[in-house]
This record gives sequence, structure tokens and C-alpha cells, in this order.
Amino acid sequence: MTSANLALRIANVTKRYGRTLALDGVSFDVPRNTMFALLGPNGAGKTTLMHILSTILAPDSGTAEIAGFDVLRDPLEARSRLGIVFQEPSLDDRLTVRENLNIHGLVFGVPQPLRRQRIDEMLQLVELTDWADKPARTLSAGMKRRVEIARALIHDSEIMLLDEPTAGLDAQSRSRMWEYVRRLQSERQLTLLVTTHYIEEVENCDRVCIIDHGKVLAIDSPDALRHQQGEQILIFTPRTQSDRSAILASFSDRLVRDDSSGIALKADDRFIESFLDQFGNRVRALSTQVPSLETAFLSLTGRELRDKDADAREVTLAFGKRGGEHTR
Amino acid sequence: MSLDQSAQTETRKTNQPRRRSWLLLQLGGLYGLWLREVMRAVRDRGQLIGGASRPILWVLILGIGLNPYFRGEVYGEATFVVPFTYLQFIFPGVVALNVMFTSVQSAVSVIWDREFGFLREVLVSPLSRTTILLGKILGGSTVALLHGCLVLVLARFADIPLTSVDVLKALGLMAILSFAVTSLGVVIANRIRTFEGFGVFSNAVIMPLYFTSSSMFPLDPALSKDQTRVTYPDWLVTLVEYNPLTYAVDSLRGALIHYNQFEPWMGIAVMIAAAAILFSIALYDFRRA
Repeated sequence: MTSANLALRIANVTKRYGRTLALDGVSFDVPRNTMFALLGPNGAGKTTLMHILSTILAPDSGTAEIAGFDVLRDPLEARSRLGIVFQEPSLDDRLTVRENLNIHGLVFGVPQPLRRQRIDEMLQLVELTDWADKPARTLSAGMKRRVEIARALIHDSEIMLLDEPTAGLDAQSRSRMWEYVRRLQSERQLTLLVTTHYIEEVENCDRVCIIDHGKVLAIDSPDALRHQQGEQILIFTPRTQSDRSAILASFSDRLVRDDSSGIALKADDRFIESFLDQFGNRVRALSTQVPSLETAFLSLTGRELRDKDADAREVTLAFGKRGGEHTR
Repeated sequence: MSLDQSAQTETRKTNQPRRRSWLLLQLGGLYGLWLREVMRAVRDRGQLIGGASRPILWVLILGIGLNPYFRGEVYGEATFVVPFTYLQFIFPGVVALNVMFTSVQSAVSVIWDREFGFLREVLVSPLSRTTILLGKILGGSTVALLHGCLVLVLARFADIPLTSVDVLKALGLMAILSFAVTSLGVVIANRIRTFEGFGVFSNAVIMPLYFTSSSMFPLDPALSKDQTRVTYPDWLVTLVEYNPLTYAVDSLRGALIHYNQFEPWMGIAVMIAAAAILFSIALYDFRRA
């Protein structure tokens, strides 16, 4: 693929904070007009990468290009093509929604008539037209996030970086967020790079990059990731003891477990068909377990996203915060 | 080839024409940042009320209260030959005070912006850091200038007849002063990163500067240099002479009540120099951060 078709090109980016390696030789490409998700636990290096792409942090080594412009050599060109929604809210609480958007337009050099038109369009898109002249502080967290998305699109952004756009939102706001993001992508030429630690949210992305400890663990489509990392499992209970031994005898190589909940066999679509032909009338409570991204993720990172094991330092810190032994 | 493309010597990878020239973009952004600062300040009722009540307090209470003692005769001798009432004398100083306080306070928003994400939002815009800082400081100085004007409205209560030329002169001086002090505020804000610390520290800088600027009392102008040093404590005279604000207040006094202790040009020169130096320091900090 030529670099002209690439929205983002990240090659061997490394960033070190003191002794911790935040990014360790990260490389990937994002083709134009796709939705790319960065998935990883907290502290995996997602935000560091976002900051490097938004040109406010310089990588120690490696290159990052935005629409062909190097973030170090051509930061202004790169920035003018970026729409960024940071993890922390950054609206001006004292100004109204429209004023916030207008000042953003001015700062990004959008000429007046176009600015006004874009503001109206974007407010409509995120369904906040009624709130245009209300002070930003009166908006809920989800609405503020939507304003920030609208704001990132006031100028001619080709690539949108969304750093944890759904963090801290309730389930309903989260699904609406994604609705807007998807609608946006269908309406205008836009490449999206989204970071998240909610696995279920990356299902709709074109490609997912799983990252942990600053290293890229896998990059693929959600489907491919599921199938690479997990397998379908067939679970059933044999009707009689003789059925049970017959099944176990013929499929011992596929056996996953055999306990009170039934027998579990590794399976694919073809196997299930032949299994049903053969033993269909000799089993009951038949079910299949489709691999989820969650299992794929677990097998790659070896830990759950949300309950990351606290390391010794964090345990000590938490102890101190609770007013530990010596501070009591 | 369009003008702005030829200005850009580096050849661009994309052949998409640049829509607006670099300068226009920076100016537009400057306007946006300035507008934001001004709107924020105007929205904040507390700031406006504070800005109006401060000069009223100084002019009414202090000015009127101390008025009779200003030109008092001691043992049958006139101690001062300043041909003004205390109210008139202190008035330009109060203008300067209001400008200074508002300037420094508007620099708090630097901390605010850093804390609440707006700074980052601007840092990822195509604006240069110089433009960002300039927009910030110009916005702050505009607000300070407005607060200075609040004091000017009180001129008739202090028995100061103002011609339009006087007002224009004063506005010019106030503009330079507010730019310099806002820059000072930003320099402080870049070093002290908490709200509380900034409040305490800026007061610790501004109040002594103000009190030793001969804005509240003159060093008797009838005395020669040597006589002054005999009459007043040596350290006070030195402080007043080395305080750049002395000259700012003095030239403001020249514009408003036509009374100068020093050469009128000195005030302008000192203020422009201070503004340039402080802005450079602020810019240096900001680029590095």
C-alpha cells in the first residue's frame, strides 16, 4: 500500500518515561476511511501514543506520520488534519456550546461563512442544536463529550483521534456515542483512531490493535482475532452412560473437559454438523460457545482488562492512602 | 502558484492548495484566543464587581480620609509643594492599581487552562506558541484595560477634569502597563502551578511593587536628591527609585493630572522595556514547557 492511501503510519515508535517503557517499538498503519481501535488495559501506552500522534509529545525514536506529514518535522500540517478528542474534557465551561465551537473554528482558521455552517451541521449531527446557546457547564458528561466530537470536526479534519471517548459515560450514552461516530464515518471521508478499554466496543471497528505494556500484541479485524485466538466449543450432556463412553472414545482428541456440567469439545462448523449426524439423538442440552474478543484478549495479554492485578507499588500506595500503619 | 505557496519554500507532498496564508491563520487564531479571554472575563460577574469596588474603596475611603492630611502645614511650614489634593494625587495610582490587579488575576487562567485541558486543545491547533501566548496576554490586558477605565469613570468624584487627549494618553499608557503586568503574571503562573500558591505569591509581588511606587505618597519633590535621602530612610528612596512601576505611575500622573516627578518619557520607556523583557521570559518558558 502506498503512503498516499495511509491516514496514519507509525513505525517503530518508542517512548520512555524514566525507567518505564511506555511504548516499545510500536508500528502499524491505518488506511484512509477506516475505523481503527487501540485496545488495551489502563497503562498499556494508548494515551502516550495518542499524545505522540497529536504532536504534543515527541517520541524517543521512530516516526509517526499523519496523512504523510511527519509529526516532528511538519507538526503544523499534521495538526491541521487532525481532530482530537482528549480523554479529559476540555470545554470552556463559562462559554456557551456555540461559542466553544466558534473559538475552535477561529483557532483552526476556518473562514466565517463555512464556520457558521459547520457549527450548525455538527450540532445537528450530535443532536445538540437545542443546547447551542446554553453554557457548557450545564451539559451532562455525555453531552459534553458529544460537543467535543462536534468540535473536532469544525475544521477540515481528515483523521480523528478519540482517546477513550466513552470513559465515564453510562451505557446509554456510550451506545449513542458510537452511533454518532459511525454515522459520521458514513457521511464524510474520515479515518478514526479510537482507544478504549471496553472490549465490546471494538466489535464494529475495521481493525483492532491489541496493545499491552507498550507492545503491539496483535492487529487484525475483530472476526479474525476471535478465530485466531479462541475456538468454538460444543457443550452437551450424553443421554446414557454408553453414549458417553462412545462419544469420548471417538473424540478424545477434541476433549476440553468432562465434568458435571457436561462434555465440552473443541469444534468448528463442519465438526458440529458431522457430530449431530452421528450422535444427534444421543445427547441433550446441546449448546455452542462462540469465542469472544474477551477470550482472544485474555489469551494475548494474560489478564482481564478491568481487574488488572495490582502490583506491589500500587498496593503500598493504596495502603498509604487509606491511612496505613504509620499514618494512623 | 499562489502567494502563500511561494512563501513556503519547502515543497509539500500533497498538491492540495493551502487555503489561507500562514499569517492570516495566526491572526484569526489570535483573535479567537483574545475573544475567549475577554468573553470569559465579562461573563464572570464576581470579577467585574471586584474590579469596580476596589477603586471605589481606594478613592472614597483612603482618598477622602487622608485628603486633609496631605497638604498639612507643620509648624507653620508647608511640607509639600504638590499642588493637588490627595484625592487627585492618588487617583492615577488607583488606575494603575486596578490595571495591575486585573492583569495578574487574568494570568490565573494560564493555570486554569493547564488544569482543565484548554491549553492542550490549543497546543494541537495549527497556531504557533508565540501566537497562543500573545493571544492570552492581549486578552488579559484588554480586560485589565477595561478595569482601568472603570476607575477613569470616577474621575469627576476626584475633581479631575479630563480632556479627551488626556484620556487617550492615559489609555495608551494603561495598555502598555497592562501588557507588561499580564506578562509578569504569566511568568509567575508558569512557575507556580497551583491556584492558591499563585494568589499568595502574586499578592506578595504586586503589593510591595505598588506601595513603593510613590503611588500612595510622593517623595517630596521640593527636596533635592541629597535632601530626600536625609529626610526619608535610605532604603525606601532606593526602592522607589528602582521600582519600574514608579515611572509607570508617574507618566500616568502626567497624563491625568499633568504632574510629573520624573521626565515624562521615562515612564513610557521603562514600561515598554519591562513589557518586552517580561513577554520574552514568558515566551521562553512557554516554548520550553
